[in-house]
Amino acid sequence: MKPPMHVAKDSEVALIGYPRIPEQDQQAAFLKKLDDLRVSMRSLMVMLENCTKCGNCAKQCHSYLGTEDYNNFPAARAELMRRIYKRYFTWTGRTFGRFFGAEDFDADTISKWLTYFYQCNECRRCAKFCPFGIDTAEVTIAARHILSEIGIMPKFMQGIAVNMNKTGNNMGIPKPAIIDCAEFMEDEMREETGLAIKIPIDKPNSEVLYIPSSADFFTNIDTMIGAAKLFHYLGVNWTIPSTVLEAANFGLLFNVNVMREQNQRLKAAATALGAKLVIQGECGHGWRAAKMYTDGCSGPVSFELVHILDYCDKHLDKLPLKKLPLRATLHDPCNYARAGEIIEQPRRIMRACVEEFVEMTPNRDENYCCGGGSGILMDEMMEIRMKLGKKKAEQVKALGRIDYLAMPCSICKAQIPAVMKHYGVLDLPMGGVMDLVGKAMLLGDTK
Amino acid sequence: MSMLDINGRQIEIDEDGFIVDPASWNEDIVSYFAKQEDVSELTENHWKVINYLRQYFQQFGIAPMIRKLCKDTGFTLKEIYELFPSGPAKGACKLAGLPKPTGCV
Repeated sequence: MKPPMHVAKDSEVALIGYPRIPEQDQQAAFLKKLDDLRVSMRSLMVMLENCTKCGNCAKQCHSYLGTEDYNNFPAARAELMRRIYKRYFTWTGRTFGRFFGAEDFDADTISKWLTYFYQCNECRRCAKFCPFGIDTAEVTIAARHILSEIGIMPKFMQGIAVNMNKTGNNMGIPKPAIIDCAEFMEDEMREETGLAIKIPIDKPNSEVLYIPSSADFFTNIDTMIGAAKLFHYLGVNWTIPSTVLEAANFGLLFNVNVMREQNQRLKAAATALGAKLVIQGECGHGWRAAKMYTDGCSGPVSFELVHILDYCDKHLDKLPLKKLPLRATLHDPCNYARAGEIIEQPRRIMRACVEEFVEMTPNRDENYCCGGGSGILMDEMMEIRMKLGKKKAEQVKALGRIDYLAMPCSICKAQIPAVMKHYGVLDLPMGGVMDLVGKAMLLGDTK
Repeated sequence: MSMLDINGRQIEIDEDGFIVDPASWNEDIVSYFAKQEDVSELTENHWKVINYLRQYFQQFGIAPMIRKLCKDTGFTLKEIYELFPSGPAKGACKLAGLPKPTGCV
């Protein structure tokens, strides 16, 4: 079985500090890593011990519904790990082998794991509907971590880790380019409003640190502009650290040690500045990583951490907003709705910014993933990605005419336009929620 | 990674078909990649975008923001897509010899 993505080569994984374990030693290393997690990550054992194969999750998983591949049925996906676990770590599996659902580690194990644990978007929808609360995202996080620990990972993840080490952001934007981009966006805002709205980079003595997604400095600039206008209007003393121009934390998506290192960069930037408040920009999994793991990775920390949509929502009443003449809907990023408590805030913001807000069905914590979640954005996986996005396309199409699709997460912003085009939804404007705030705010000449 | 033979010169490309060493770029590569990226005929407008991308990359070591590319070349995003059907981040950067933009794009 050949995995559907480019796999990082020996020289490439060594470059980021995860050298490839030679083939003859891989089984022992692989089982050792699984054993480590068996002991340290007890929640994983709950996932592995309790599945009754009731089949509930199959109906709820967009990955299985879109690909119709048996191994993308969440219980079957987790079974890829469960069988190995049984074989090597339970007496029944050791004794009765296949008759007890146990399976030997063999030549295909690694490629099967790469193939199927990278078709799980870690969206947690299965957990929502599982009577035991089995969360395949946890199994996927553990599986990807084990693979990367023995030097096996998609080239896409490795490339992002290289950029992160070099520049502090996924895209690899060096500081002079960050400053150039910020000046360009300032010019754009000056042309629109006549005001000198700043996007300060590394400004000393700032009270607030804003952590945008690096994609906001490439494709999604209206998200960045929305945040800058909000801070300007509220008179916030803020800055963006050039060392962490990244709300994303791909460590959560392929190696938890990498996640810790990146989270520590965030703490270092905030500490160096003496910031009291850190505001994370529109990024789904990055918000989960920051909110759920900062204390564990880098704690104790001396700053408060909030999300830009939560922050904006709290100040909504003060903002000079004029409703835009749009019929708009919201795609809930999985990590906001099922892992980050950002559910009603974007709705309140959107209702204040557009004339008509409509819900897609299902929504909130039952929403379907865009199909790009957990960093499945590899070009070479486009065909699979479109299958993973099928449920999302159906949800949007069912709404009839809409003028704007809000998707406040950079992965969603990269994935959904491709999905819409693939399924024939053309010329639909899409972007973040902060984009709408920026456009609806009456500032300077736009009053 | 593999090697391409373009008019007798060996050029190393990565898994996505982008050139590995930006310094190995030459004009022959553009004609070669144009066919792969559905650019039927290279016009002055294509070169305007390619030259802009190259100049920005030489100065900043990264591709410019998409909107800056549009503003500075005078093309709308739609026009950029007409010139480079696989888009500014994929087709245009590939022809210009820039590394493939990665991350959430």
